[in-house]
Amino acid sequence: MTDTPPPSTPLTPQGLRRPKQLPIDSDVEDDPLLTPLVLPSAKELWNFTGPEYLLSRGLRADHQCLSCSLEFSDYTPAQLYELNQQLKDDSVPERPLIDAVAPMSTLRAEYENGSPSFLKQIDWLTKNGFDKVQRTKGDGDCFYRSLGYAYIESLLTSKDKDFAVASALSLLSSTKDVLESAGIEKLVYEDFYDDFANLVGSISKPGEDGLVLNKERLLQSFQNPEVSNSIVIYLRFVTSAHIKLNRESYEGFLVHPDTKDIMDVDSFCANVVQAMGREADHVEIEALCRALYLNVDVAYLTGVRGDGVDFIKFHNRDEGEGAITLLYRPGHYDILVSNKRAA
Amino acid sequence: MSSISSRRLAKELREIHSEGCPVGINLIEANDYAKWLFTIEVMGDSVYQNEKYTLQFRFDSHYPISSPAVQFVVTEGREAPMHPHVYSNGHICASILGNEWSPVLSVVAVCVTIQSMLASCKKKERPRDNDSYVRNAPENPKKTQFHYDDDTV
Repeated sequence: MTDTPPPSTPLTPQGLRRPKQLPIDSDVEDDPLLTPLVLPSAKELWNFTGPEYLLSRGLRADHQCLSCSLEFSDYTPAQLYELNQQLKDDSVPERPLIDAVAPMSTLRAEYENGSPSFLKQIDWLTKNGFDKVQRTKGDGDCFYRSLGYAYIESLLTSKDKDFAVASALSLLSSTKDVLESAGIEKLVYEDFYDDFANLVGSISKPGEDGLVLNKERLLQSFQNPEVSNSIVIYLRFVTSAHIKLNRESYEGFLVHPDTKDIMDVDSFCANVVQAMGREADHVEIEALCRALYLNVDVAYLTGVRGDGVDFIKFHNRDEGEGAITLLYRPGHYDILVSNKRAA
Repeated sequence: MSSISSRRLAKELREIHSEGCPVGINLIEANDYAKWLFTIEVMGDSVYQNEKYTLQFRFDSHYPISSPAVQFVVTEGREAPMHPHVYSNGHICASILGNEWSPVLSVVAVCVTIQSMLASCKKKERPRDNDSYVRNAPENPKKTQFHYDDDTV
């Protein structure tokens, strides 16, 4: 991996849908300053990486049932993102499921040879108080993991911790009935629920290990695949159940993440929402934020405008309660940290 | 605290013992939380009438977050059913065992899915690339990245 420079901009997801609620001035269709993303073609990337390289990275060489030809587009945006990351981090050991908070400059450094509009957007975020980022692994679960972490952290840092924890636990407990109404059995969800509720509960009362949760232990818990994945899957179940029980709001908006074919509610929930490693899109974010009454702002770092960053708001509580902020780059979500947030 | 896989498998096993398996599916071995064996028969009218197959599940410590490795047993005189998505080495090309696996599925749910996959089969045949696949296949079917291109079979 010495002769070819790694691609320096993230790959665009296949058919990223335009976020709704875009501010009027963000219409970039005829913006003369718009810099197109410099993307390696699928073929280039494939030649560059080669099947052995993919194999050595755990991205297994594709076996084809029947006689299909391999197209690079068979990879999901999340896989492409991970591939891109792996190219960048060639000598760096595997990313943790979620990393410690890092200054925005670490992210900026990765784009220095890339698209100027990405750099401008990163600088805009920094200038506007979003000067840190907490990165998650690009394994297709990054949205749920980022959200789960930021949600529990918001309870941990809330002014009235005990009240926040008690309300969160009662809300979480009520989701069990929602899951059952949507046909997800107790046997299937209870272990994940227990891990989730125990972690939240340990903010105000010592958990099984006799310790009260603090930021350091929260990070450790989310780096432990068992706890971390339990929370991811529970959030997937909550999302799925919410979509199933409110199907009239979502029907017609559900598309297969790879083929972009319209899917019916039940197959979408079974094959996309409830499956690990399947990236979340607008619909899942909307559903989960409604189900848990969350305020979430997603900053879209897409390089399509250099003069600012669009925040898409998913708000389901009083505005005064603040919002969890996430950073979206094509195919990936991280946690965006504001310097206004309690330390 | 025991691992998430043994917690979950203990519950699944308790349920199998108390409620039994669906018709045509029988648990024949579950001595630990690493490997279970079931027999599968297709009930009623089908191209597999009066045939019985053995389905093997292997679990890692991340089950049910990670999918079980599921395949037909092809040793000691047992064979894999002739099916366009079942290779002669017992490996099965089914998306729910790969990228569409969800922890919402249980061992019994997988058995039922495989049983209905057989039940709906009209013609006994091997996948087109059976020979080349079997020659190069890894021992564990989870190491194969199947390309799922046909949901109708």
